[in-house]
Amino acid sequence: MGDKSTPLLAVLQLLRKYNLKGTEEILRKEASLGDAEYENLDLPEVELASILTAHHTESDPYSYEFAYESLKKFIENSLDIYKYELSTLLYPIFVHMYMVLILYEHTTHAANFLEKFGPEQEDYYQEDLKKFSIVKNKDQIKGNELAEIYSSNKFVVQLSRDASSQLKRFLHEQKTTVIINIINNHIQIEVHDGPGRSLAQIRATAGGMLGEATRNENRTKVYYGLLKEPDIQLPPVPVEDEEETEETPDKPKKKKAKKDNIFMKKPKSDPNAPPSDRIPLPEMKETDKLEKGKALREASKRVHLGPDSLPSICFYTLLNSGHTAICADICDDSTLLAVGFNNSTIKVWTLTPVKLRGMKSAEKLQDIDREAGDVLVRMMEEKDRDTCRTLFGHSGPVYKVAFDPFKNLLLSCSEDSTVRLWSLQCWTCLVVYRGHVWPVWAVRWSPHGHYFASAGHDRAARLWATDHHQPLRIFAGHLSDVDCVQFHPNSNYIATGSSDRTIRVWDCLTGTQVRIMTGHKSPIFVLSFSVCGRWLASGGGGGELMIWDISTGLPAATLPPAHTAPIHALAFSRDGTILSTGSLDCSIKLWDFTAITEEVSGEEIGNNSTVQKDDRFLLRSFPTKNSPIKDLHFTRRNLLLGVGSYEGSS
Amino acid sequence: MGDSDFVYGSSLSIDSMKVIAESIGIGSLGDDAAKELADDVTYRLKVILQDAMKFMHHSKRQKLSITDIDHTIKSKNIEPQYGFLQPDSLPFRFASGGGRELHFIEEKEIDLSEILSAPPPKVPLDVSVRTHWLSVDGVQPTVPENPPPLTKEIQKLESVDPISKLNKPTNKDAAGKPMCGKAARLKASESVHVKQLATHELSVEQQLYYKEITEACVGSDEGRRAEALQSLACDPGLHEMLPRMCTFISEGVKVNVVQNNLALLIYLMRMVKALLDNQSLYLEKYLHELIPSVSTCIVSRQLCLRPEMDNHWALRDFASRLMAQICKTFNTSTNNLQTRVTRLFAKALQCPSQTNNENGVGPSMVTTMKESEKTPLASLYGAVQGLAELGPEVVKVFILPRVRWLGERVEGALSGLGGADRQAAGNLKQQLLKVLAPVVRQLRQPPDLPEEYKRDYGYLGPSLVQMVAKQRSSPAGGGGGGAVAVVTCTPPLVPSAPSPSPSPSPLQSHSHTFSTKTVETVATRNVVISASPTPQSPAPATPPPQKFVIVASQQKPPQAQPASGASHIVVHSSQPAIVRSQNVQAPVSVVAKPVFTRGGGGGAPQPPPELDDLSHLA
Repeated sequence: MGDKSTPLLAVLQLLRKYNLKGTEEILRKEASLGDAEYENLDLPEVELASILTAHHTESDPYSYEFAYESLKKFIENSLDIYKYELSTLLYPIFVHMYMVLILYEHTTHAANFLEKFGPEQEDYYQEDLKKFSIVKNKDQIKGNELAEIYSSNKFVVQLSRDASSQLKRFLHEQKTTVIINIINNHIQIEVHDGPGRSLAQIRATAGGMLGEATRNENRTKVYYGLLKEPDIQLPPVPVEDEEETEETPDKPKKKKAKKDNIFMKKPKSDPNAPPSDRIPLPEMKETDKLEKGKALREASKRVHLGPDSLPSICFYTLLNSGHTAICADICDDSTLLAVGFNNSTIKVWTLTPVKLRGMKSAEKLQDIDREAGDVLVRMMEEKDRDTCRTLFGHSGPVYKVAFDPFKNLLLSCSEDSTVRLWSLQCWTCLVVYRGHVWPVWAVRWSPHGHYFASAGHDRAARLWATDHHQPLRIFAGHLSDVDCVQFHPNSNYIATGSSDRTIRVWDCLTGTQVRIMTGHKSPIFVLSFSVCGRWLASGGGGGELMIWDISTGLPAATLPPAHTAPIHALAFSRDGTILSTGSLDCSIKLWDFTAITEEVSGEEIGNNSTVQKDDRFLLRSFPTKNSPIKDLHFTRRNLLLGVGSYEGSS
Repeated sequence: MGDSDFVYGSSLSIDSMKVIAESIGIGSLGDDAAKELADDVTYRLKVILQDAMKFMHHSKRQKLSITDIDHTIKSKNIEPQYGFLQPDSLPFRFASGGGRELHFIEEKEIDLSEILSAPPPKVPLDVSVRTHWLSVDGVQPTVPENPPPLTKEIQKLESVDPISKLNKPTNKDAAGKPMCGKAARLKASESVHVKQLATHELSVEQQLYYKEITEACVGSDEGRRAEALQSLACDPGLHEMLPRMCTFISEGVKVNVVQNNLALLIYLMRMVKALLDNQSLYLEKYLHELIPSVSTCIVSRQLCLRPEMDNHWALRDFASRLMAQICKTFNTSTNNLQTRVTRLFAKALQCPSQTNNENGVGPSMVTTMKESEKTPLASLYGAVQGLAELGPEVVKVFILPRVRWLGERVEGALSGLGGADRQAAGNLKQQLLKVLAPVVRQLRQPPDLPEEYKRDYGYLGPSLVQMVAKQRSSPAGGGGGGAVAVVTCTPPLVPSAPSPSPSPSPLQSHSHTFSTKTVETVATRNVVISASPTPQSPAPATPPPQKFVIVASQQKPPQAQPASGASHIVVHSSQPAIVRSQNVQAPVSVVAKPVFTRGGGGGAPQPPPELDDLSHLA
């Protein structure tokens, strides 16, 4: 049959797709196609589309180059107010032209085309272009990750109404239909009312693998407020005593005020908060309440931070770890440190003089009086204490570890595509959660415990509850690996950051995507919600840091790229005034978060995005001695803890 | 826009494909097939590498490792490549021939029995957590756990372009000084009316530190001095007081050379050594002060009050070693440091006969001729030692041609009357032999005939023959080669019998203060000071000749020292790695072991053990 039959097959497949049985029969008879081919009708979407659109343009490879150049010329000559918006069209058209050239096996033309116009594409697409440029013939397109993403999704371009009509006029004047075809098939043009955007505005949101986020996608209301804190009965009298004795009586008056502030702060009804029963949250156990009470007491002794009073940083250096230590986490009350290693192990250190203890064996536990007040103490082993314990179980590098809010459990995820739940009392693995197919990159607890989220190489994030071995929700939609995941402080939402350079926010209740935020120019490796729940900070592979407004889904600030290597750690101070970032370039930087948010709220009325060029938000930078930062953590009293592994002097 | 010179993709060559095909037994692979294969293999490799990048990023690394590739291959459901766990990067070799160019991995044959018989490798240390303060209220303390406040690059930049410091106040604040609260506001208000000058202000603490350190370094308490020197060698935040330290040293040398205060000169040189050892300092800026001081201590006419008694030779040796270290570290093609230093020493060795017929420089040399005729033997010794430390090649070019003339000087002095001169000549002779023997050994083929040596090298010929012959016969020298052979030689000859006259050198006054004191820590640099097992109460009337040995290796306990009744002061300092690596090139006698073993057990015509020996300082 050869080449001739391929378009026929494609037509047949199309007919079948639309369920046009009669026509299909007739065509089959007329073309006298055998059953064998008919059964094997399985052309990939890419090819199907290209075959069906082929007939007019197939002939001339030069027409592409010509069409692209004329489009470029048109954009260059258009008015400044349209120019920048229109120029966002160039990249998708370029990519699809290249792909079509390859599909028609004009490989040398394709290579020339890439050589000629590749370098002038936006710098944040160069990385993708490099990846895409390895595709050099038709067969490779089929299996290529990027090519499939480009051909099966539409690239989103936002144009103002005027700009789009300019574009229409230009397209009508064109003789060839090359560009029109591409725009029809692969580009989604979002028309917005209002003036064309400036270069800076476009740069702020550009950079996603498939262009910008459309506005409609971010319309849904997000309840970004905090939940009402459960009332915790503190034993009031002993607390007072303790504080009086513990603290040097520095400014007793001020302290009182501070404390009141913390206890009174609870918003009676935050207008942005979700109903407290929107998703079912676990009942607090007695021990959890104790822990929470302790946390509140600690919080009352918190140091207030600001540009004038920077936090002290205590740095934990992992010695002899070389490149083996991957991730670290410090539990909420800052007493335990967990580190995940390349060699599949997890180590847990105690950071206080209190040693780590195991639970007694089952026989011995039976003897214990369960009604006794100190049953929790009694069930632990008296001997058998360590400052460090190792957890074995994974069979691949451990990419993330996470302590639960109440310090009883530890989660870890690994290259072996499992998530494991460990008990910090028995020091054994409790559950293995299987569900991810490929390596799991990130796992995070809900701030209220019970739920956790994981994300991995399979381009999906999953929501789990500890008592289910199946995920409760699967959040699919990212175009590339989901590199990080983070719970919103009210546990109702999950934010995910991905290698497709978008951040998406998902609703845990409905499982739908409620925000998609573009603007990062490199993969996103770490996310963190601000204490108030409105802002989301994200750190990228290029060392850039961005702040997002969850209420609108727009970038609130793009901070100057102070780091030179990927950011892998973010932490907000407990009072939300300081943001700290830690990076592989062996430095910790402190940012004035109050100033950043004030700036944004001030400018919000005027326009939607701000790009900061100056250093005025960067407060300080602390280099470490050749120790890339793995984790940052603010204690309840606002002392910053950093973890890094010393990589030797070089 | 992106880099215009970026090339989208490279690919494996057809040749590689053919070679690979051959290696699995496919002899004739067509060009088309090879091309097809090359394209496909390139594509697949790149896909794997792209995914491996993801694994690298999530391992929080910036260097791709073999495990990343393994994991990628695993995730793509391909059988992984076993046995490619390599601790270091793969050593690719290049070869060409037969019209082909190849890159290949060198696979060595491994002898299993050798591995089995070898001692098991050290168990890697377990991961441990260490805590320190990275910042206290926004100020980074300058402790060794933190990086130096100003990196060497910035210090260098500042020295090259001082204006850069003025231009970037924010940058500086971000790196060094606190920038919060009152200080920040003060700074802001100050900068309005302060003249634009790059100042090095020292805080009160730093001034106190400077005072303490300098006092301790030249004071009489050996323990404090050790601590002070350790601080100078390790502390990361010294750059601000470096100019003052260097001035202190250079002024100190000027004064003490005039006053012939040997002890203080030694202390000052040890300070130089400590500063050189400090990793975080950028010393280039201050070499103009340090080099003259050090070279003064090498070639000065007189360094002590009683040249016939005091061991100023050791100081010269030590300073020579420092000079060699300076040359190694700081020599660049622009400052030509080593050339200039070499010229300085060579000038001191200038001799009348050879300036004319060898260098042929001309009439300007006539004046130096006259002077060098008068160059004191001590200075000659220093110049020889200084050149010797710079490597065997330097010895060959600068000392060997002048050996005949030097021999004449030595001969003249030895036959003369002056006791000091005779001793100096003896030392010089010993030193020359030590330095020249390995070079001559490399130059000449056996048999070594005394007549030939006599003809070529003059007075020193016969002694040289013995020395060379001994080295040829000794197995250690045979294995080591020229440069190393120097190391095994003995210290310079000093008066062959302990001189009876009571003349306590300034160094001796401390000897009793630290008898049997051993400071041994696991810190990076430790100084062990110990006395001999039979501490002898040093009566000022009969001062025993002392032995100063600063040994490089930490493992060798000073007990190996043959105790001969005299009290020894062994200053035992572990060496940072840099210096050791330098020894590859220069015959710096760092390893102390050969000295001990030979001096004690050899029984060869070595100088008696009670000789002063400062040559192993460093």
